[in-house]
Amino acid sequence: MREKREDKRIICVGNRFVDSDDIGPQVYDYLARRDMPGAVSLIDGGLMGLDLLRFVEGARRVVFVDVLHGFAPPGRPVVLDRSMVLEERPTGYGHDGGLACLLRMLPAVCESDLPEIALVGAEPPIGPDVVEQLADMALSIATRERYGRERNTAIDAPQPGAP
Amino acid sequence: MSQKTVLQLPLNRVEGDLDVKVEVADGCVADAWCSGTMFRGFEQILAGRGALDGLVITPRVCGICGTAHLTAASRALDAIAGVEVPDNGVRLRNVALMVEHVQSDVRHGFLMFMADFANSAYRKHPLYEEAVRRYEPFRGQAVRETVRETKNVLEIVAILGGQWPHSSYMVPGGVVSVPEQNDLLQCLHLLRQYRRWYETRVLGCEIACWNAIKSASDLDAWLMEKEEHRESEIGFFLRFSEKAGLFATGKGHGNFISFGSFDLPRQTQVKPGKDGDRRLVPAGFARGTTVEAFDSEKIAEHVSHSWFLDSREARHPFDGETRPYASGFEGQKYSWAKAPRYDGVPAETGPLAEAVIAGRPLFIDLVRKSGPSVLVRELARLARPALLLEAAETWLHEMAAGDGDFYNPPEEIANGVGAGLTQAARGALGHWVKIEDRKIVHYQIITPTAWHASPRDDGGVRGVMEEALVGTPVKDDQNPVEIGHVVRSFDACLVCTVHSLAKAGRAARMRG
Repeated sequence: MREKREDKRIICVGNRFVDSDDIGPQVYDYLARRDMPGAVSLIDGGLMGLDLLRFVEGARRVVFVDVLHGFAPPGRPVVLDRSMVLEERPTGYGHDGGLACLLRMLPAVCESDLPEIALVGAEPPIGPDVVEQLADMALSIATRERYGRERNTAIDAPQPGAP
Repeated sequence: MSQKTVLQLPLNRVEGDLDVKVEVADGCVADAWCSGTMFRGFEQILAGRGALDGLVITPRVCGICGTAHLTAASRALDAIAGVEVPDNGVRLRNVALMVEHVQSDVRHGFLMFMADFANSAYRKHPLYEEAVRRYEPFRGQAVRETVRETKNVLEIVAILGGQWPHSSYMVPGGVVSVPEQNDLLQCLHLLRQYRRWYETRVLGCEIACWNAIKSASDLDAWLMEKEEHRESEIGFFLRFSEKAGLFATGKGHGNFISFGSFDLPRQTQVKPGKDGDRRLVPAGFARGTTVEAFDSEKIAEHVSHSWFLDSREARHPFDGETRPYASGFEGQKYSWAKAPRYDGVPAETGPLAEAVIAGRPLFIDLVRKSGPSVLVRELARLARPALLLEAAETWLHEMAAGDGDFYNPPEEIANGVGAGLTQAARGALGHWVKIEDRKIVHYQIITPTAWHASPRDDGGVRGVMEEALVGTPVKDDQNPVEIGHVVRSFDACLVCTVHSLAKAGRAARMRG
């Protein structure tokens, strides 16, 4: 796959057959019904784990959507950047690593310039309103012109519509 | 009086959720229990669905071996439909499954198994520093190379099947994707690129040179012959493992099973893995190195120690049930895995079983001399691509050279019974399917790890990994790296469960 460097991608991760792991697929389904801006690709990341590397390479910015545990009360959207994910220190490759493993390994194996990375998610259970919020946040991060450090330091993401 | 210690070990770097409990007495494992800790229930998900739904759902059983599940699901429906897959359909299915095998074999080796060589337990091993340089998680040279190379070779499955993992391009009668010449040439390029890396870095020699090794003494001579051999990943593995004593641990029951895989097309240059078997990887069952003809009717699943409703006797998968029952029988039932047995006995599967059943001289000699072991089992896995890569290249050439069909349309699948048996990267995989009125009424899956990580059977006989753990020396019960070696030598896969990132310090485990 050859992508233009200005490409931005939303990669929704998870297992749609497991209730506690289907936030990514729910957001994917929601976004798939909407018109996406031309520069944004929507990708169903499923359970690909390390194999998402191919979809990360060549992008300017990648927004992952996945389940997150322990960063905020259940149902509250959270945004993390790559450095914040790495603070959680995955111990090695395997299915106990998930996205943290991929992002930790990225500088050593990515065969393009490193893209900007964001991870949007929430702890289950969530309702349709949170799915919509997560989708809006992912799209907003993907499409904004600049993705500055000041955005990355926030743990609890601002609620859409909040002052 | 001996002192007994019980270690409960949630194993990482296995695919999914596996708990191993061992009882250590006098510095050795005296007994072991393997427990799959998650109920999947794919059999229930499939019951009542359309006849073809297994083609979409079962590749999602696992993010590592989806092509194998798709192969098994398709073969079961081929059998029910009574349809013959045309030669190019056979070739394309084979090549995709081979690619899944060869990437899995090296990822397991260098990202999971050899990561233990960089464990501090080996800090006094003379090759420790070099092991860290090669296999340190995320940073080791072999780790980085493996991620890059396997990423590239998997593009072949994406080209042939639209995506990897979780692809659904195989259907009863063949495949739905017909590659163009350019697609096949691209696949050949990717395969050759992978082969170059495998020969240069993993083997340290050409595949033909490796395949000329026929005995343990040949292997010793090969290792001493050139620096390239000693410094290759296999050469390093042999040198490190020898000093770590891995030839003496992980023996197990000594039975082997293969369902066979990679049917040969009617017209092909690829030779069968064994005379009289029209497959590259033959089917069979072996006690030690004595091979018997394979009979799928001899497979039965026991549930007396599994969290399922008991049946009066072990059942063939066409008659088996998957009805969870997790209350009662405390102390007896301890796993969500069933206990498959062949002719009443446990059997290991995977690359070593394939090599023994095919009668490959090097592995026959190694098993006869010292039995199965961690070292021999992992060596068979690291060496398997040497068999598969050449055949995959031949089949890509044959597809590119001809105009044959990829698909033979079957009649509507309304009623019938069929089994889809194949070899996944980790070993024998079977789907047993019954269709009535265009609906699935019965679906049973036995995975390779069910053979390996099974609990005890109705006779109280340990599962394969449980038996292999007995006798394992444990030097430090706070860092029992030896137990990890034995378990990982089986490349255990209790399948994908939940991907999530959990904040540090929280009890939740990161897994997926």
